[in-house]
Amino acid sequence: MADQVLEGSQPVDLSKHPSGIVPTLQNIVSTVNLDCKLDLKAIALQARNAEYNPKRFAAVIMRIREPKTTALIFASGKMVCTGAKSEQQSKLAARKYARIIQKLGFPAKFKDFKIQNIVGSCDVKFPIRLEGLAYSHGAFSSYEPELFPGLIYRMKQPKIVLLIFVSGKIVLTGAKVRDETYTAFENIYPVLTEFRKNQQWYDF
Amino acid sequence: MESSRPCKSCGKSALVSDDITGNLVCSLCGIVQDFENFQAHFGGISGPTGTFVRVGTSGTGNVYNYKQTKIYGAQKIIDDLMYKLGFSAYRSNEVKIMAETITEGEYGQGDWFPIFIGACAYVVMRKDNKSLPIVDVAALIGCDIHELGRMVARVVNFLELKLPEFDIVNSFERSIRTCPSFSAVSDDKLERMLKQGIFIVHCLVKWFLTTGRRPLPVVAAVLVFVAQLNQVEVRIEDVAKELHVAVSTSRLRYKELLESLVKVAQVLPWGKDITVKNIVMNAPFVIQYMELKSMSKHGQKRKSSEHVGFDLDDIVSDITSKEIEYGTDSYDIQNDSGYFEVENSPRWNIDDSEKFKISPECLSMIYSKFLNDVSGVNSGGDIREDNRGKRRAYNLRACTEWWKGKSELSKKLLLKQILEKDVGLNAMPPSYVTGCLAYQRRREKIKVAKQRIDKIMHPSNADSGERDALCLLECINVGKKRRRMQVGIDWEDFIIETLLLHQVEEEEIEKGHYNTLLDLHVFNSGSL
Repeated sequence: MADQVLEGSQPVDLSKHPSGIVPTLQNIVSTVNLDCKLDLKAIALQARNAEYNPKRFAAVIMRIREPKTTALIFASGKMVCTGAKSEQQSKLAARKYARIIQKLGFPAKFKDFKIQNIVGSCDVKFPIRLEGLAYSHGAFSSYEPELFPGLIYRMKQPKIVLLIFVSGKIVLTGAKVRDETYTAFENIYPVLTEFRKNQQWYDF
Repeated sequence: MESSRPCKSCGKSALVSDDITGNLVCSLCGIVQDFENFQAHFGGISGPTGTFVRVGTSGTGNVYNYKQTKIYGAQKIIDDLMYKLGFSAYRSNEVKIMAETITEGEYGQGDWFPIFIGACAYVVMRKDNKSLPIVDVAALIGCDIHELGRMVARVVNFLELKLPEFDIVNSFERSIRTCPSFSAVSDDKLERMLKQGIFIVHCLVKWFLTTGRRPLPVVAAVLVFVAQLNQVEVRIEDVAKELHVAVSTSRLRYKELLESLVKVAQVLPWGKDITVKNIVMNAPFVIQYMELKSMSKHGQKRKSSEHVGFDLDDIVSDITSKEIEYGTDSYDIQNDSGYFEVENSPRWNIDDSEKFKISPECLSMIYSKFLNDVSGVNSGGDIREDNRGKRRAYNLRACTEWWKGKSELSKKLLLKQILEKDVGLNAMPPSYVTGCLAYQRRREKIKVAKQRIDKIMHPSNADSGERDALCLLECINVGKKRRRMQVGIDWEDFIIETLLLHQVEEEEIEKGHYNTLLDLHVFNSGSL
């Protein structure tokens, strides 16, 4: 825990984050294979924190409070864990779910744990001319105000999707490791500042 | 027909089939043979042809097979939709070709097909920079816009097209021409409204009021506004319905438009009295001001815009010196027409001017002064427009109305050109402003929370702290929504306190991602 607090209190490493802004990780999605067939009905009946409605969805939805996460547990023994705020938390939560399944009498293992997606967000604190950005980066961006208020920027390297909003708020998704999120943001930041300069020519 | 069988009586192979009974009879002895009318089934090319049963044939008389029926049905759907969308034969054909290419001539059946055709129609229009709002297509087909949008994306990807940006000005133009509410408006008035509308739409683009927002509610708001300026009676509900957009969103955009104009109006001498309630009546002045501003050469921006601004100030101070009342809600908007037809206005009678307390002479003086001033600018040197060096000569002599439509903002412009214009206000996007306010509010809350913590940790200097804290809290709450006046401490304060006590950086707290921070720093005891 002490490490975590220190990490949060450290000044931004400018060599890694030249923009001075570190995207906040908002959600981590991971998968793991428990490597045994599961009786979902039995799990739903025995566990307090589980819900199961086979008509709606073919998995048990289980929640724990610390780390505050939600897991989808399938009859095949595969499990998806969502809602964690860091990779370690996601792994810890997945382990906790596996332990719960074991306690319910299934021979659950913990195989092939993998982070599947990392979602981060940040605020560049200046407005962005989405029309201009869409125009100059047409190959990567899609801005359809009729359908979605943000500009969808599909970065090729790293392969990350960014949602860029006029308010200056950015959402980065699709990363498997957190550095991809950071790199993607550092790549897009100069582009965004360029737009800020252009459009604020005559600002007060 | 002779059979190869021998006769049961004489043993000769001379049996024939009786035409009437169908029995075999020996042609020599006349004995009727035992009943046996089996005929060998012939196959192959020489055999008799049977009836082919084809899939898709129902009953007799239908000569189409499944594929033909499907294509026929599909064509009918396409024709129907094209007719309802009002497409020309050329465009309909384009849509048909597109549908045929994508489906490889198979067309299709089922619920997805009309959506697919709608998507093709949308893409065909968008490709040529013609406006066809996606909500219109969705409303016609009866599907959700996102469903249609996904199909559009698939069509675009398949054909590897690059659609041009959605053009809100085109959209406005189309709406004003097609909206039933404006069908009764005369052509020249419509043309004027169109120009005014385009001017205002450009201003809204500049003020970030269109970025990241659905375009059609904005269009609805502008339509209603220009209708009011030109005494066309329309209700925002009707316009919104005709454009297939939500009434509440259109109202909100309308309000934002008025608020922005009020901000611009602050430069007028009576600016402080202008509110969203009377802005429509003052709009002619405000728009005139904006128009002049936008026409000023931006290379000499400071100088010339100040110059124009000064002229206008002069003019309006003339009005104010006569102690007139303006912009009050007391007079009918109909009387506003006085602004438009100043010099030779037949409608401008004494009663009206009495009500305004503006004499016609005064107003005509304003305008003649205007003309002099502007022509003064003109003789002083040519005013160039933009960086492109186009020359523009002001000729306002013929203008007797407040609306001149001379500004380039009344024509179609590129985004860059719009941004280069000065219309007297540089607004920030509302979402950005809200974000800044939220930051500020949280910063204040952090400050107060720190003082509370400090008070508990060091009770000796509690007194001064308490007073400050209370004062700060009040500031925050007054600044926020009045409805929810609360002086106490709420959940947010507690969270901030908790985070501060867990030594979370203040900059992190300011961002407001409380759940994430709580998870990372507070409820993190079991971390590996």
